[in-house]
Parts: sequence; C-alpha cells; structure tokens
Amino acid sequence: MSEIISVNDGNFESFIQGDRMVIVDFWAPTCMPCRLMEPGLEKIAASHPENVRVLKVNVNENPKTSSRYFVRTLPTLLFIKDGQVRTQIVGAVNPVQIEKTLSEVS
Amino acid sequence: MDKNWDVIIIGGGPAGLAAAVYCGRALRKTLVLEKKVFGGQIVFADIIENYPGFAEPIVPADLMEQMSKQCERYGVVLENDEVQALRMEGESWLVDVYQNTYTAKAILYAAGSMHRFLGVPGEQELLGRGVSVCATCDAPFFLERKVAVLGGGDTALSEALHLAKYAAEVTLIHRRDKFRAEKILQDRVFKNGKIKVIWDSEVLAFKGGQRLEALEIRNKKSGVAEAVAFDGAFMAIGTIPNTELLKNIVTLDENGYVVTDISLRTEANGLFVAGEVIRGNRRQVAISVGMGVQAALGCEEYLAALD
Repeated sequence: MSEIISVNDGNFESFIQGDRMVIVDFWAPTCMPCRLMEPGLEKIAASHPENVRVLKVNVNENPKTSSRYFVRTLPTLLFIKDGQVRTQIVGAVNPVQIEKTLSEVS
Repeated sequence: MDKNWDVIIIGGGPAGLAAAVYCGRALRKTLVLEKKVFGGQIVFADIIENYPGFAEPIVPADLMEQMSKQCERYGVVLENDEVQALRMEGESWLVDVYQNTYTAKAILYAAGSMHRFLGVPGEQELLGRGVSVCATCDAPFFLERKVAVLGGGDTALSEALHLAKYAAEVTLIHRRDKFRAEKILQDRVFKNGKIKVIWDSEVLAFKGGQRLEALEIRNKKSGVAEAVAFDGAFMAIGTIPNTELLKNIVTLDENGYVVTDISLRTEANGLFVAGEVIRGNRRQVAISVGMGVQAALGCEEYLAALD
C-alpha cells in the first residue's frame, strides 16, 4: 500500500521525475481545509500504488518549492508528470474530484 | 452502493452532520452527500471559542472529525459526491449525483453557503494571487506583508486577528461606521497594534498584474476614492446560499434563501431544510447544529407517518 510522502525543498526534485503521475499537496498546519483533505489523499495514494505518487509540502518550511510553482493559496494540488505540471486544483476537494482530474490528465 | 435510502442529507457541514446523528439514531437508512470536504464553512476558521460545552477553544477540524465519527457510529453513510439534480417522482425523491441516481423517502437539505464576492474589476482575476477567502489557509504567504480584510462581521475580525500573527500590518475595510462582530472580537481588534480600520468605505477595484498590488477604496461619506497598496486582500463580506438545486422546488427569497418557520419544513412534501440556506440564519455553528436536529426530528415525524 502506498502512502503520502512528506518532501522538502532539498529532495523535492528527485521525487517528481519519471513518468509516474505525481500529486503534490501544498499545505500548512494552520490550514483546516488542508487537514480535512488528507484522508482523501491517503485514499488516492492507497488506490493507485503503481502509477500515482502523492507528495506533501509544508509551505511554511519549504518556501522555495512553493514559490517555484507560484503557490499563493492553500490548499493547492499540482499534478506533475515527467517533471512538468499538467494541471492544478486550488481549494479544498474530495477524492472523487481528484480521481476525476487524474483520469483527465493521465 | 445501495441506491434506496430513507433520508438523504445534502451537505456535510454542522447542520447536515447534526441531522445525520438524529436520523441514524432513529434507525433510518441515512446517506449524507458532501460535494467538497466534510465540515462546511467552519473549516475556514482557525478556532471556535463559542461552541457550548468546550471550555477551551476547539479546532474546527477536530469538531468536524468527531461529528463525522458520531454519524458513522449510528450507521450513517458519508459520501463525497455532488448532487446534479433533485426531483420528486411519485412518492420518492430522486437525487442525481455524478454517475448514479439515488432514491429517498425524505430529503434534508443543508447545503450551506459559499463565499460572497464584490463583483468588481480585478477580483476574480487576482483570486489566488493575493485575493483570498481563507486567512487560516493563506496567512503564511503574507509574512511581514501588508494585507486588507474586507468586512465587519465575526469572520472578518477573526481573520484580521489571525493574519496579525503573520503580516506586518492588517487593515479592516468596512462599509459601515461600526462592526457587527462579537464584542470580544472587537475588543481584541482595537487592542491589537497591528490592526487598523478604514470605516465607511468600499472597495471599487482590485489592481495588479501577476499579483495584487493595490485596492481602490472609496470613502462613502466623502465620495473620495484612492488607490492604497496591499499585498493581500481577504474577502469576509458574507456568504450566498447554495440553493441552486431548490430553485424549481421551493420558493426562494430575492437573495436565494429558503423562507421557512421553526418546523424547518418546506412546501415540498418530505423536503426539510437546515443551516445557512435559511433566511435569517445568523451563521453560528451552534445554530446550524440546532437547526439540523430540529429538521431531523421533523423529518422523523414525517417518515413515521409513512410507515
């Protein structure tokens, strides 16, 4: 079973390369919608162990990564493949909406 | 998943989940549909200090997690899905979701509200680029910056207090000459050296290119308008009800609210309402919870008469 991987400014790059779809969850401890989205993201990670990798970036501790992608509002989800951003979702969403976006960009 | 239910509750905020506990305990087969995340508008707040029964401030997400677990304890099914259409056919309600249609003997509509916007130039273009609807989400991006909060109610003042922990300066812009927020929040705002207030003023435009740079603010008394530099602007000017689905089913007032009385019934048979979709709701978690319970009890009475 696949889990959400917590990444930082230092190791972020190494996790987004390759042809596997990567979902990056930008969050902060004070962001309540972010927290309520987490069970849904765990579900996504668990149901796509082979082809989707779910990462989380704490924006308070990793300003480099959040400013690189112009993240200025939380929660923000980026969908990255081969190192390129395919799409993003801004605002709280549930696993059904994430699955829908995944099928659109995969 | 099962297609036939006794009660379908539309909306998983405090009203919907409180109703669900009572429907579950009435041993009714109950489904709660939530299109976003369970919790409703309260998930945007940082703390709740006025929910009776808790001496210490509580974290909204904690409260909502407990409410969700309480629902599940009584057999309620919580499902993330968005209702596309709602209609009555014969004796049953039909609820269309993305890829399914459910039936229910009764509907409890508690879809809540969404953020209100001013509808002025630049607002939508700069949303997420300096314009925000959630201080607890976005405050970290405004460390040592200059931010504005638009509004004068509980939400506006709570957001200003939260932002003051991060920003260099917080300015509340309010269209009246006094706040309607709780007095305790007003007291904290007036004592906070980082927060100042621009009274009797409205925002005419949000200016900027890649990100927000300034707000055009007009003083309603003098009529004078000027551009004031801000890095962020937080919208807390109220909400609009999510009642689109009810449009052809019940009479809505000119602002889209459902008009009802303490029974929380509607003119449609077996359709009950609760929470922020109702005209006159004062937007408190405790009120929504109370309404959810009231609507659920009315709903149970209705179902018992059908048995």
